[in-house]
Amino acid sequence: MIRLPWPAVHWPTVRARPRADAGPLLLTAVVVAVVVLFAGAVPPLMRATADQAVRDAVRQAAEDATVRVHARWEPDDGPYGGRVRDPYLAETVSDLRGMAGDELDPDLRAVLRPPIATVTSSTLKITDGGIQRTFQLGYLGNDPAAGGGPGVTWLAGGAPRPAVPEAESRIEVPYGAPPWPVQVGLAKPVADTLNLGPGDRIPLVDQRRRTKHVVVSGVFAPTDRDDPAWRLAPWLLEPVAGVDGVGSTRFAGLLSADSLPDARLAFADEELDRTVWFALDPEVLTRDSAESVAANVVALKAASASSGVRDSSLRWETRLDAVLRDVRTRIAAANAQASVLLVGVLTVAILVLLLAADLLVRRRAMALTAARQRGATLPDLATELLVESVALALLAGAAGLGLVVAVASGISWRWAAPVILAAAVATPVLGTLTAARATRDRRVPANRTARRWVRRTGQLRRATLEVAVLAGAVAAFTTLHQRGILPPASTAPTGPGPGEDGGATLPASAPALGALVGALLLLRLLPLGTGLVLRRSLRSRRPLAVFGAARAAVTSARVLPVLVLVTSVALASFAFTLRATAVQGLAEGAWRTVGADARLDVNLADAAATTALAERVAAAPGVRQVVTAQVTDNARLVADSTLVTPRLVIVDARAFARLLAATPLPDGPQFDRLAVTGGAGGAVPALVRSADGGLRPGTRLELRRADGPAVQLAVVGTAPPVGDADDVVVVDAAAVAAAGVPVVPNTVWVTGPGAGRAVADRTLGADVLDREEVLAQRRTAPLSLGLLRLWWASITMLLAMGLLGLALGAAASAAQRWQTLTRLRTLGLRPVDARRVAVGELLPPVLVAAVGGPLLGVLLAALTLGPLALRLLTGQAVDPTAVLPWWQLGVLAVAPLAAVVVVVRVELAARRHRRLGEVLRAGEG
Amino acid sequence: MSTVPLLSVRGVERRFGVGPTAVHALRDVSFDVQGGTMVALVGRSGSGKTTLLNVVGGLDRPDAGTVVVDGTDVTALDEDGLSRLRRATVGYVFQTFGLIPVLSAAENVGAPLRLARTPAAERERRVELLLELVGLADHAQQRPAELSGGQQQRVAIARALAASPRLLIADEPTGQLDAETGLSVMSLLRGVVESEGVTVLVATHDPVMMALAERVIRIQDGRLDAEPAGSAPG
Repeated sequence: MIRLPWPAVHWPTVRARPRADAGPLLLTAVVVAVVVLFAGAVPPLMRATADQAVRDAVRQAAEDATVRVHARWEPDDGPYGGRVRDPYLAETVSDLRGMAGDELDPDLRAVLRPPIATVTSSTLKITDGGIQRTFQLGYLGNDPAAGGGPGVTWLAGGAPRPAVPEAESRIEVPYGAPPWPVQVGLAKPVADTLNLGPGDRIPLVDQRRRTKHVVVSGVFAPTDRDDPAWRLAPWLLEPVAGVDGVGSTRFAGLLSADSLPDARLAFADEELDRTVWFALDPEVLTRDSAESVAANVVALKAASASSGVRDSSLRWETRLDAVLRDVRTRIAAANAQASVLLVGVLTVAILVLLLAADLLVRRRAMALTAARQRGATLPDLATELLVESVALALLAGAAGLGLVVAVASGISWRWAAPVILAAAVATPVLGTLTAARATRDRRVPANRTARRWVRRTGQLRRATLEVAVLAGAVAAFTTLHQRGILPPASTAPTGPGPGEDGGATLPASAPALGALVGALLLLRLLPLGTGLVLRRSLRSRRPLAVFGAARAAVTSARVLPVLVLVTSVALASFAFTLRATAVQGLAEGAWRTVGADARLDVNLADAAATTALAERVAAAPGVRQVVTAQVTDNARLVADSTLVTPRLVIVDARAFARLLAATPLPDGPQFDRLAVTGGAGGAVPALVRSADGGLRPGTRLELRRADGPAVQLAVVGTAPPVGDADDVVVVDAAAVAAAGVPVVPNTVWVTGPGAGRAVADRTLGADVLDREEVLAQRRTAPLSLGLLRLWWASITMLLAMGLLGLALGAAASAAQRWQTLTRLRTLGLRPVDARRVAVGELLPPVLVAAVGGPLLGVLLAALTLGPLALRLLTGQAVDPTAVLPWWQLGVLAVAPLAAVVVVVRVELAARRHRRLGEVLRAGEG
Repeated sequence: MSTVPLLSVRGVERRFGVGPTAVHALRDVSFDVQGGTMVALVGRSGSGKTTLLNVVGGLDRPDAGTVVVDGTDVTALDEDGLSRLRRATVGYVFQTFGLIPVLSAAENVGAPLRLARTPAAERERRVELLLELVGLADHAQQRPAELSGGQQQRVAIARALAASPRLLIADEPTGQLDAETGLSVMSLLRGVVESEGVTVLVATHDPVMMALAERVIRIQDGRLDAEPAGSAPG
């Protein structure tokens, strides 16, 4: 067996080299430390952002994020053919809370707040007038110790009492008996609107027009309006418009633990619903726990009793799994964006490290050659260089990771490792190759055929490398377009950070690989361009052009500087374009959500009040347009015998068209068709929009009404999008009124620079939606804010590394450049012209980067915008089109050009004290 | 013979560094050179030959004294004036050739003419003539890397002559050439003195070159030695 000797490391040389090349080594160390800091900190910061996003989503989902459990009532049939009053019904309801809690998985229970039990009646009609008013009885049981419900102060009368004395509390009431009396308390706004007080009977009938005997026991004010129990039935505190259909207003009365048994007797089993609500505690939720919570919720729903079951087993309902799935998808999209940026930054960082190593090896070329000539073997030299670069990479990497610990709550090794590895091996590999080439037996073969063979071998090697990069880019783009940037659904929830999903790195590499391919292509074209310029300048009358072009032809042939510069500018342009598109998307999303500069969601029950409110807003300074509308979500319409539930917008069509024209929202060019009254068969003309094409022109629609005959709608055109609804039906208010349907506007859209101020008045008695506030809220949402910051950080890093690459490339060619310029100075070139020639030499690759980089970046953005799923982060319905950030792209184009001038000035300053005469002897610049 | 020398050096001093470590490269150097002659500047390494050539050619400024080339006080010129001097009056031949690698031999030779904004047709004629003169007319389109050392130095000489300078300064032009090639380069320099009427100031160690010169100036530790008998001021 041949035993290879250990490499003989010359330690004095290893110690001396860093002192001689402190500058380049320090630069390499800084690059490694900063990039490791970036790559190590982004994943944990994204994890923290994801946790915030989950909490934010749960907070915003409000009721959708609650877990509800329903249970039918136990039979109350008595022995004498009637129903038995249960005086302990409130305790039974309370027991249901505990029973439901016991069925929860401990992991799920840990993130849920204490449950609230509610009992609500079916919706009744108030029969005191023409306006459509509904009424509901409600019982809230969140704290048994406090009497079963949230605290109230009785302003008049008192809490609802039982309908029978305690001695008769278990009375059996025969079926078919007169309506059983029930006492309820009314909140002051409810009592005032209905003009009722203690002792008054509320005129109510159920859906079958059967009278209900409900009496007001007292008028109350909530002790704490923010008590979570009230959120489950806000109509207990004040009337709420639109809950029970177009033009309706819901009122409600509060049941007590004492009157609850009477409500049970007053209603049939199916008319009284008991539910236990579990609200999530967002503060204890993390992205990781959200995954197990979602799994538990899915399991809970799967094991839930169906609605057809007649016993009292528990029926679980929640949209929490959908809410968590949605936020996890958005987190996956954000992580994917972060992966794209990280891959881009790391690609450029590795190229910069290679360039720095190249510069270092150039500086050491003579020393390495001399060492080799003195007998040092290649393994000896490689080991010496490896010792130095490994120490440097580890120290710089440790410094970067140390800073990560300071700014983030964890470290990601996965993304930091390639940088440290590149820093560790680049110099030894390049240095060893340089030493090997310098001491080859035959540097240039004497034989012409052999020289051609050597040249072609080099060309083949380069082409192989280029084809490999191209193949990688094709694979990445194919994967990105076929699979998208999001990881497969099965792995999405488990990914702890950007790219750590076991499969998203390849598609995330598409922009970086695309930028590399583009840079390689430009690199191939650059010599053709500089050659052409040189040939033209040789015929030019301008003396300087030829010298600049001649030097440029040499300098531009160097691969790494061009690769670094073009790739960094392209990826920075790509990131800028993505950022601008996202910002624009957020703005469009805010416009779409609000529908104007501001929107008032009115809870007033009559049209006159809303109109007065609109007039008041319109009179405010800076308000240009005010449009009122009745907007009903989930309106019940029948489309060709199929029930559909679109958003129904009843609005003055002309005013709405003017409003849309004054905003960036899509116009409604077909609004004129709504003005035509008496459509086919006297139907009301309507415009429709449907996500799935279910509603289209020609469809016959029927608006079902609870208190009157159905209204026929004739679809005459396509409606513009209104808010975030998938399906929209727009009709003209005048046409609807003419068809006999009362129009009660509940929405006021306001435009103009003073819109925000005009609706800021909290005494308007309406929910205010200010577009600027919505936009600010979305921009500062965890995922958006995190990504916007990451985009800026990445762009800064890319630009800084691009300029560093330019400086390193210039430094590597500086000796030759100034040697030539000094020679030209001896021929009569003026100092100022020498500067111009130097700029001319460095300009071609920079021009290519300045022009080609932004174009390449925009092209990459256009090619990847759809698969990158930016819409998931902006809240847009469809993939956005790329928005070109002109001035930022301009900055990216100008920055390298300005840097060339700075580099030349610095080089000139560094050579200020070198005498021209030195060139005569040594030929040094 | 003209009584006005083409080159007049008077009391030139050049010192590098300050204080006790200062090196006096030139001490009170004075000499004249008549036009159309070839003068060899001889001395050991570090004797001050290159410093003297730099000062004469305006590549370095003396601490004291004056240098007058073709009636122009070089020491009084600013940077632009020196550039004009180098463009029109003084030509240089480097030991390391100093050619621009990406330009062909013809383009290298034409470089000073470009700087002087000579019309293209005239430039091409002049380049052709000079390449003919140095015997490289067949190598006009070859790049420096494709030429031998001697050929490169011939191109350098042609380039130095391109702008028809009055004074040609050459610093050890045969230093990197073998004996035979060096001899041909020396013969070429001698030839251009005679054919172009150029004054050549050449620093050399080579006895053959000294023999070809009309006059030999010896320099030692920054001072001129007394000139040997028979070596009359040219």
